[in-house]
Amino acid sequence: MSSESGNAVAFGNRFRTYVDRGNPIRNMDPIVVFIVLVAIAIAPIAFPGFVAAAIVCLIYPVIALFAGVAREFLPTYLKLFLVVGLVLFVLRAAFIDGEDPLFRLGNIAPTWAGVEEGARFALLVMAISGAVTLFFNVATVRYLMLALELRGVTPRATYVILASFQSIIDLGRHARTVLEAQQSRGIETQGNIIVRARAFFPILAPVFLAAINQTEERAVSLDARAFNSNVPHTHLVMLRPTRPRELVVAVLVVATVLAAFIASAVGWF
Amino acid sequence: MVNESAVVKFLKGYGRLTIFMMPIGIAINFIGGQIALLLKLPVYLDSIGTILVGATCGMGPGALVGAISNVLNAITSPPTLAFGVLNIMFGLLAGYLARRGVFKSWSKTLLSAIPFALIGGVLGAIITIWVFGGLAVGGGALVVGALVALGLDVNTANFVAQVPMDILDKVPTVMIVFAIIKGIPNRTFAKLPLGYIYLGKNKAGASSKPSGTSVS
Repeated sequence: MSSESGNAVAFGNRFRTYVDRGNPIRNMDPIVVFIVLVAIAIAPIAFPGFVAAAIVCLIYPVIALFAGVAREFLPTYLKLFLVVGLVLFVLRAAFIDGEDPLFRLGNIAPTWAGVEEGARFALLVMAISGAVTLFFNVATVRYLMLALELRGVTPRATYVILASFQSIIDLGRHARTVLEAQQSRGIETQGNIIVRARAFFPILAPVFLAAINQTEERAVSLDARAFNSNVPHTHLVMLRPTRPRELVVAVLVVATVLAAFIASAVGWF
Repeated sequence: MVNESAVVKFLKGYGRLTIFMMPIGIAINFIGGQIALLLKLPVYLDSIGTILVGATCGMGPGALVGAISNVLNAITSPPTLAFGVLNIMFGLLAGYLARRGVFKSWSKTLLSAIPFALIGGVLGAIITIWVFGGLAVGGGALVVGALVALGLDVNTANFVAQVPMDILDKVPTVMIVFAIIKGIPNRTFAKLPLGYIYLGKNKAGASSKPSGTSVS
């Protein structure tokens, strides 16, 4: 009996304390994380050559390690390096004109200038890609939307974003069901391209039309929760207020990057 | 012959259903792309939702669906961010064409693939040239690379590779959009901002909305 009521109190207390994601970096205000990562990502544009971009690309794994998301972040980032970075680098290295080709292979004659330019561009793109990937590993979309809502973004906008994620999962699952149902009814999903193309519509259309029919239920359930009322919404989850030290970090990073851009504009590098 | 209460109902429905249509449109963009991959089709088919929402809810919601889809896509493939303006243009164009009644007949819908493909191919090629210097990533880039290796210059190679690829992508896309619009029940159309077009009604009583192009 007493343990049961204790459980109830513990359950209730979950909603009375701030969200704790178990790591100082992941507990940071998602908007501060966003600003810091954007500043880091664009910083290498201010510097010539590819060294700055390479350093930035190496900073992300370190942040990921301290944030405890290295296991999620590193494989994704390495895959991006292979799929995106390598392609960008190789194409540029192979086709950008310059003097003194390193070697020749038919029409392709890579030069040192091409390799340098390829490395710079590929690493710049990877610096921006890394920031995006790391951001979505460190911050959860739910808490980001809550943080935006608390700063005055309309709940309709945050609803659309959150519902989109849920819809992708829901409709994706439904699409697989429909695919199997249609296959069992004899729709061919193998064979030549025209046969396969014809299977596309009978899979997608039922998914969409079923989703449209559910919109009314969603409208009713949101109305039942007073979503459209004009008073401020309440939330089950409480976000920790932004800590002063987070703001200090953000200001320092942004100021440093700004200084780098000013220095490059003045012509220091 | 629209009576008062029908007009009031229509206005009440405006905007409400749109916020539910947008997540569906975004999800359809992703699922269309996934099914195309699953069926090993050589096309993207990843703008069906954008055009569908643009055609049923108007330019604004269509553009938003395109923009949000692009940002969500960037989570797994960040370089796609550079092409976000394409998706926004698709949504805007779909809304504009819908107001002209294009998606009511299949022949006009088929023709609408041309402007969509021109945006996708030409603007896509221009962005590839501007942002990536003509050498981006993905299947198209390998085609471009092959054309450059054959002796074409980078800019020409981009247009040569991307415009036909986009026509191949947009023809099935608009035809699927047309077929799906045919399948939307009338009671749903009654609550969609551009539904009156497909119900064959005038935009009677809806003059409070900002843009006032009337449908003949």
